[in-house]
Amino acid sequence: MTPLIELSGVTKQLRGQGEPRAILSGVDLTVHSGESVAVLGRSGSGKSTLLSLIGLFDRPDGGRYLFDGRDITRLAERRAAALRSAEFGFVFQRFFLLKHLTAAQNVAMALVNGQGWQPRRRRRRLALAALDQVGIAHLAKHKPPKLSGGEQQRVAVARALVRQPRMLLADEPTGALDTETGNLVIDVLHAATAQGCGLILVTHDWDHANRMHRVLRLRDGVLDPVENEVVA
Amino acid sequence: MIRLSGRLANVGRWPLRQAARLSSALIIGVQGIRARKLRTLLSMLSLFLGVLAVVVVEAGAQTARQAALSDIELHVGKDGTVIMSVPPDPKIVPAAMDAVAGRSDAVAFFPAHAVIGEPNVSPVNQGGAPFDQGNGGGYFARPPGVEIICDNRGVCQKVEFGPVNQPPPGQAIELQVTALTGDIRQFRPFRSVSGQWLDFSGAPSLSPRLVLNREAAKGFSRYQVPAQMRVDGATADPTPRIVGVVDDGNEVPMAYVRADELLNWLPLTRAGNFGELQMMMTPAAAGDIAQTLRARAAAVGVPAEELRANTVNSKKEAESHLALLNWIFLGMAGLVLLIGVAGVMNVGLATVGERVEEFALRRAVGTPRSLLAGIVLAETMLTGLFTAAAAIGASSLALKVVSRLLASHTSYLTNLSFPWQAGVAGIVAGVAAGLLGGMIPAIRAARIPIATVMRA
Repeated sequence: MTPLIELSGVTKQLRGQGEPRAILSGVDLTVHSGESVAVLGRSGSGKSTLLSLIGLFDRPDGGRYLFDGRDITRLAERRAAALRSAEFGFVFQRFFLLKHLTAAQNVAMALVNGQGWQPRRRRRRLALAALDQVGIAHLAKHKPPKLSGGEQQRVAVARALVRQPRMLLADEPTGALDTETGNLVIDVLHAATAQGCGLILVTHDWDHANRMHRVLRLRDGVLDPVENEVVA
Repeated sequence: MIRLSGRLANVGRWPLRQAARLSSALIIGVQGIRARKLRTLLSMLSLFLGVLAVVVVEAGAQTARQAALSDIELHVGKDGTVIMSVPPDPKIVPAAMDAVAGRSDAVAFFPAHAVIGEPNVSPVNQGGAPFDQGNGGGYFARPPGVEIICDNRGVCQKVEFGPVNQPPPGQAIELQVTALTGDIRQFRPFRSVSGQWLDFSGAPSLSPRLVLNREAAKGFSRYQVPAQMRVDGATADPTPRIVGVVDDGNEVPMAYVRADELLNWLPLTRAGNFGELQMMMTPAAAGDIAQTLRARAAAVGVPAEELRANTVNSKKEAESHLALLNWIFLGMAGLVLLIGVAGVMNVGLATVGERVEEFALRRAVGTPRSLLAGIVLAETMLTGLFTAAAAIGASSLALKVVSRLLASHTSYLTNLSFPWQAGVAGIVAGVAAGLLGGMIPAIRAARIPIATVMRA
């Protein structure tokens, strides 16, 4: 079976004002559909950089990146945007909801991105279905300032799910939430993998990591499996 | 692989993709405007004066153009009209009248001089002067003992006769009369003021029907004069009937009469006593009539070169002069508009700075850079459009007020409507200024790094 994500020998250097610093130095990673992978690591270890390469926000300096068997290592920006829209869903530590839009409109914003056109009624229906999937359809008309942190993050997850992506990338989605609320969000993400969606979760939380199929640690620019702590 | 290709193929059709992006840009742009009403209002305020200047200049230019050109048509005739002048020679005038008789595409007319009112008195507007200029200060006013004599070429000069007996002032109005063989309005579009125009069908009446111009009508409404008309050179004084009033653009009192009704009292041989007989005709009729007249002139011994013809082209010439002025004023308005553009740019840059995370997030969910630029441009363009609507509304309202206040002083301001060209100019100026002002903010928005959301 062709893996959904296949990284081999991926390298990345960060270029600041001083000398370039190698942040990833030969990352190998394979993720299949319906599989969830947790990535642990210390702050500054390159977890977010790795996620930004997988999410096509940036390009690797070296190595190869296959998506569903297709080499997308050097994908042009226009095609990368189309692929992000069609195949990826993103959840960030901060929710990045637009305050002037309702929850439903925030979810529907992922449908108004110039990548194909959906009529207003269909956009609304899809947004409500996504909100329902994360259990907050009743809050569709609420604007972000009226929602709690957990509710806001669930709106953000609904926004990531509304285009029915095949790969979810979550960058510390529970970092700004208390444990109970964080668990709710992880439940929602986990439920998405049950429907065949791949998930890469970057987290500092061992409990959340242990609920994933595999746990990897990013250290010295390389991903290593963390076998002993895996529960799921 | 198949699924990926299929999805990409859905958005791969260029026109559909562009339509989707345009719709997305407009939707997000409207959302942005609604979310930042105060900023939009600030942009509109900075742009308003510039767009208003363009609208006002264009509206003023169009109104002035309309007024100037309509006056030119009233005085000189519509462009393309052929005017032929026939010397006031008794041998050729009857032939000229014959040449246009019964034709609808040509009309001949000759001037006459008339006084309506009490006999043997000095008219209230001696010399046919306008009524508000006072007797003695008018165009043709002449002091006692002075006469104005015109020769065959229409050149007039003052001749002093020494002391003469000036008749006592009385209730009479002096005016110029134009005798017409047909409806001249197809060439000089007089504006009807009241009553009706001359009816050229049917037999001529012995009581000549007159259509006055506004200045003459002013005199008749101001003074009570008996209905007795003395026409210089006439065999007797007919009783005129006033049937209507028109605006002919003339500031001296004038009256229009059917030529055949005047000729009941004025011998045709004297028809050219007060100036040349003129003919107005369509270009199609000109060749035919000119050929006939030249043959008749040669037959009676009048040199053919004395029949002069020229085609009216005044409107075109006036338009080119007005267009130059219009461009100069539009250039000045454009400078004011540039200040507005700078304001839009300023507010736009501040807004983009505030929305860095939003734009980065939009890129993360697949929005291409070009669409991000399009969103900013859509917002500034819509702002420009709203500003244009406000400026057009304000100008239209101002024009209505001015028209209502000044209509009694200036005839062409009556029923003045807002020129559509000014509306188009306003919309073009608003949209162009919005796009120009949004250009740099749009480029900045498109360059926001997507990783902003990761580092936040």
